[in-house]
Amino acid sequence: MSLKIGVHGLTSCYGCQLKMASVKEIINIARNFDIKYWYMISSKGEIEHVDIAFVEGSVTTKEDERELKIIRENADILVAVGSCAIHGGVQGILFGEEYEKAFKEVYGDKKIEYEAEISHPIKNFVEVDYNLPGCPPEEDEIIYYLATFALGSYPEEKDYPVCSECRRNGYPCVLIEKNDCCLGPLTVAGCNARCLKYGISCIGCRGALEEIAWFDSLAKTFKEKNMGEEYVKSRMEIFGKQYEKMEEMLKKVFENED
Amino acid sequence: MRYVKITNEKIYDFLERLKNYGKLYAPVKISDKFYDRKEIEDVREIAFEYIRTLMPAKKYFVSPTEKMFEIDIEKGEYKETLENIEPFVIFGMHACEIVGLRILDGVYLDKYPDIYYKRKRDAGIIVGLSCLPDEYCFCNLTRTDFVDVGFDLFLHELPDGYLVRVGSPNGHKIVDENTDLFEEVDKNDIDAFRAFEEKRQEMFKWEGSFDNMRYILELTMEDEVWDEEVEKCFGCGNCTNTCPTCRCYDVQDIPDIDGKKAKRIRFWDSCQFRGHGLVAGGHNFRGTKRDRFLNRYICKNAYFYGLGTSYCVGCGNCTYFCPANIDYLKNLMKIRSMTEVKNG
Repeated sequence: MSLKIGVHGLTSCYGCQLKMASVKEIINIARNFDIKYWYMISSKGEIEHVDIAFVEGSVTTKEDERELKIIRENADILVAVGSCAIHGGVQGILFGEEYEKAFKEVYGDKKIEYEAEISHPIKNFVEVDYNLPGCPPEEDEIIYYLATFALGSYPEEKDYPVCSECRRNGYPCVLIEKNDCCLGPLTVAGCNARCLKYGISCIGCRGALEEIAWFDSLAKTFKEKNMGEEYVKSRMEIFGKQYEKMEEMLKKVFENED
Repeated sequence: MRYVKITNEKIYDFLERLKNYGKLYAPVKISDKFYDRKEIEDVREIAFEYIRTLMPAKKYFVSPTEKMFEIDIEKGEYKETLENIEPFVIFGMHACEIVGLRILDGVYLDKYPDIYYKRKRDAGIIVGLSCLPDEYCFCNLTRTDFVDVGFDLFLHELPDGYLVRVGSPNGHKIVDENTDLFEEVDKNDIDAFRAFEEKRQEMFKWEGSFDNMRYILELTMEDEVWDEEVEKCFGCGNCTNTCPTCRCYDVQDIPDIDGKKAKRIRFWDSCQFRGHGLVAGGHNFRGTKRDRFLNRYICKNAYFYGLGTSYCVGCGNCTYFCPANIDYLKNLMKIRSMTEVKNG
């Protein structure tokens, strides 16, 4: 019997779903899984009990939160897909007072139907079983996750940084050679160091490694390379703003003038 | 040992002829600062002046990623994937890396040889090349600055060519089949060889022996010298990935989407990664960055009984390729209370 799956999108660019829908093996996914809900592919279908729910997007409205909870209640396994769902995404960059200020600037006092709130990763509201990282996730990982579930097993999440793949591929290290503000050392591998292949430094789109992203160590090196706090912070914040210890780690490095 | 000479005029002919013995890999400049080994089309591209490559030569014997098995899940069967390995020639390996390869041999070719490694090792011809140390080199301390075995040919720079040591039956074969390229070594060549070796020894920055490093390290693991160094570390694994003797790999099964077939792959792992010490049940033998950081120092300085040296071959790659500027050698020197003897 094939596994029942659902694919859901909260607040995001829908790029993760698009990636999932456009993998080469999409026909084989359709053949081997019973797709109960996938709004991007068909407007038919309602949220019902599934074996695995894939959720992309962050929670930025009450509606998102409500929908997410229904998805969770109806899924045996819930997979957070992509940087928005896992880390709050780029939209998670506005936090606290900064958020209030930006909201006022854009909407003024206007009343809007879906009032946006600070963007949160879905783990802040429901229990997440697995993370499928990426912005969007890579084709081989999408297949790997689905295939391991189909076998009654589970995917092994990558727990090492982009540098590992950069070295395995023999790409020159742009941090050493060009003094670039490369975030590869913090960032979950899996992209096969795609940007580094073209000599473009990592911006951290796959998200920081949980608990082992050493923002402080990296910032210290950047500081020694004469990069300013504002620049380093602005770059690390794009995908890392909601990483719990980032602010504190950066403060420690830049306030400690030696 | 047999010694012959090749002059500079004939060196490119020689390199061209090496292609008769297999695909030729040699160091080329790949960017402003880095060299790496690539397959060579035009032998004039080869960078004789290189000191270290971004990826050690181990990449030709232990692939960064390789398929091990094909698995038929329905039948419950698997078979080893033994792809056809064409003969190949690695030109320009320095002494440290050749010792590194012998260390890998000791690990992979024991009583239960690793078939994937062995097949590549059997297919590879090694041509060594002499070198002068830079400030990162310390192979004199690890006693890996000269090799007597582990190569087929070894070229030592002379003012007008190379003194060639012939180190294996394959090496003899290459010389015998290309006698027009080689000549006898004369007294001037021997003097030049001696002078080169002497100059080389004088260029090393440090003197002494690393033989008891392991024990000193074990006794000083709590030393505060390490605190700052651990703090600097990104845990990126560059040190182990660029090390000629690091050989840890991870294994993963990748099923097909229909669940009928799967492949087993292995790829370079690193003790600097959290998952390296993680075992079933969730226990981690190296749960902190400090554990992982020190593990490399201890492991590299362990004694390899096969050669009577440490697992560290003194190449300096881990320092040169560390994006966090962690100086492996200086840290060892601090712990050993050794001081620099020359300016290099």
